[in-house]
Amino acid sequence: MAILKTDAITMKFGGLTAVNEFNLNVEQGEIVAVIGPNGAGKTTAFNMITGVYRPTEGHIYFDDKKITGLKPHTITKYGMARTFQNIRLFKELSVLENVVIANHLHLKTNLIQAILGNTYPDILDVLWMPKYKREEKKILEKSHMLLEKVGLIDLKDEKANSLPYGLQRKLEIARALATNPRLLLLDEPAAGMNPKETNDLTNFIRQIRDDFNLTILLIEHHMQVVMDISDRIYVLDYGINIAEGNPYEIQNNDRVIQAYLGVAEDA
Amino acid sequence: MKIRNTILTLVSIALLAAFIWYADSNFDSYKIRILNLCAIYTILALSMNLINGFTGLLSLGHAGFMAVGAYTTALLTMSETAKQQNFFLKPIVAPLATITLPFLPALLIGGVLSAFVAFLIGAPTLRLRGDYLAIATLGFSEIIRIVFTNTQNITNGPLGLKSIPNNTNLWWTFGLALVTLILIKSLIDSSYGKALKAIREDEVAAESMGINLFQHKLIAFIIGAFFAAIGGGLLGSLIGAINPIMFRFILTFNVLLIVVMGGMGSITGSVISAFAVTAGLEYLRVLDESINLGFVTIKGIPGLRMVVFAGLLMVVVIFFKNGLMGTKEFSWDKLINFFTSKKRFKKKEVGQ
Ligand SMILES: Nc1ncnc2c1ncn2[C@@H]1O[C@H](COP(=O)(O)OP(=O)(O)O)[C@@H](O)[C@H]1O
Ligand SMILES: [Mg+2]
Repeated sequence: MAILKTDAITMKFGGLTAVNEFNLNVEQGEIVAVIGPNGAGKTTAFNMITGVYRPTEGHIYFDDKKITGLKPHTITKYGMARTFQNIRLFKELSVLENVVIANHLHLKTNLIQAILGNTYPDILDVLWMPKYKREEKKILEKSHMLLEKVGLIDLKDEKANSLPYGLQRKLEIARALATNPRLLLLDEPAAGMNPKETNDLTNFIRQIRDDFNLTILLIEHHMQVVMDISDRIYVLDYGINIAEGNPYEIQNNDRVIQAYLGVAEDA
Repeated sequence: MKIRNTILTLVSIALLAAFIWYADSNFDSYKIRILNLCAIYTILALSMNLINGFTGLLSLGHAGFMAVGAYTTALLTMSETAKQQNFFLKPIVAPLATITLPFLPALLIGGVLSAFVAFLIGAPTLRLRGDYLAIATLGFSEIIRIVFTNTQNITNGPLGLKSIPNNTNLWWTFGLALVTLILIKSLIDSSYGKALKAIREDEVAAESMGINLFQHKLIAFIIGAFFAAIGGGLLGSLIGAINPIMFRFILTFNVLLIVVMGGMGSITGSVISAFAVTAGLEYLRVLDESINLGFVTIKGIPGLRMVVFAGLLMVVVIFFKNGLMGTKEFSWDKLINFFTSKKRFKKKEVGQ
């Protein structure tokens, strides 16, 4: 069963058609890449899928449920999470807080319980712990686990924007994982990573897919990463889907080669 | 550690209680009034900081929410005869004429009413971009004054309300300031508070992490309006007389100044700043009055204290761009670390 399906989604910005009738199909457990030159409409497609933009035309189905036009927070709650091309961490907050916040959507205690639970003195915790504190403790444990997984546990108290870019990307991934996604969208995860980090990225993405039972859709410019990791690849050029296939097919597709030779390669 | 911090907090609260007990019976009424004002402005600053500092909204309606609180509290606590004396132009509407409630329920009803008004303003505007809230709240706080000026049989119009029972004392103001502090702090530290900070940092990212922007902004706005009304109710009862002119925009502006000076997004900053600014403005009053130096009397220049105050504010803004505290908070651990690490540093120096 397709976990994600788009039915001819189109996004127009004034006179510009950023994405034109894009049909995307992602199966459970796959790693699928969307590639294409800069400005091809890849990020715009992500923004439509995650609810940041409402498609001008077309529909999006997540688990066969129509999610076109739903708010991003609702779609995230259904089990889709993302990272951003231009890193969008909560800059002034700590690494740990960034991950903790992404657990909020599943919080079961209400506002009053949270406020009162937090006023309950810590020293009485041994006798009885309010529901909110128990939940918060679980969230902290989970956040620590996630930071451990991405190798940021030693930096948990640092401010998010004090990390080097490569680590900020990993933090964005940890934060996205905290929302308990089934489908993870990564927008240029290798951008800003050094060669070693880029080399490790392929294994890292496979690892989290297996550990968290994910399906992954990614945008990437780094061709080696794309060819290594993807089960299937979609190629966008000027908003049009010019090719689709496995890495071998894409590498030998004439239209793709033309699209990439026609513009300066920026990977 | 936890035990130590809890004990330190409890000791501080006990010391504060001892101080209030002492001040209540030994300070002159002028000093007590200033202390009351400090505590009330603490409540006002904390409530505004929740909306503008922690959630990153721009609300300019504090004076309006305070007016709702002040009028509700006054009308619900005044005695039947006091109301008859006040409303000599046009009698007060029937149910209000006879109701007289104790102080606390009256304050709480004022808070709930204000929260409801905030809901009415927030529900349509908080779905839109940020500027709409600023415009709507600014409009609201002006409109509510005009409404209060014209509802002669409810608010006594431009004459305002006089001889409001003087329920406010140091126990009430400091007690409620402490409750506000504790509740807002535990909100801020909770998962909900972190969500509010996330919204301030990056709305798109917050929404993509599953945070319902509208719902959380509304929560912050409503809670802020509730406590603003509590502050307004206390203020009306402290001064003993209110009228629509008291709740002009300048009142919102003063609270905003306190919040900005203390640090947008710092509870500690708001508390320090509320005390420093309120007490400072009172003591600077000297500048407005004439000074007798024995051989010569210098005529006071009315308004000079505001000039000096503005100068001080500029100094703070220039040297501390993010206010006194930025987004930093006081904690026992930090305080103790500060002293112990300093000692260690000195020891090292001696060794070298
Ligand atoms: N919010 C927007 N408003 C107007 N134009 C946009 C907007 N977002 C993207 N675009 C335009 O749409 C096209 C595709 O952009 P984008 O999806 O970011 O490309 P990619 O991610 O493939 O590099 C570009 O020409 C870009 O300028
Ligand atoms: Mg892009």
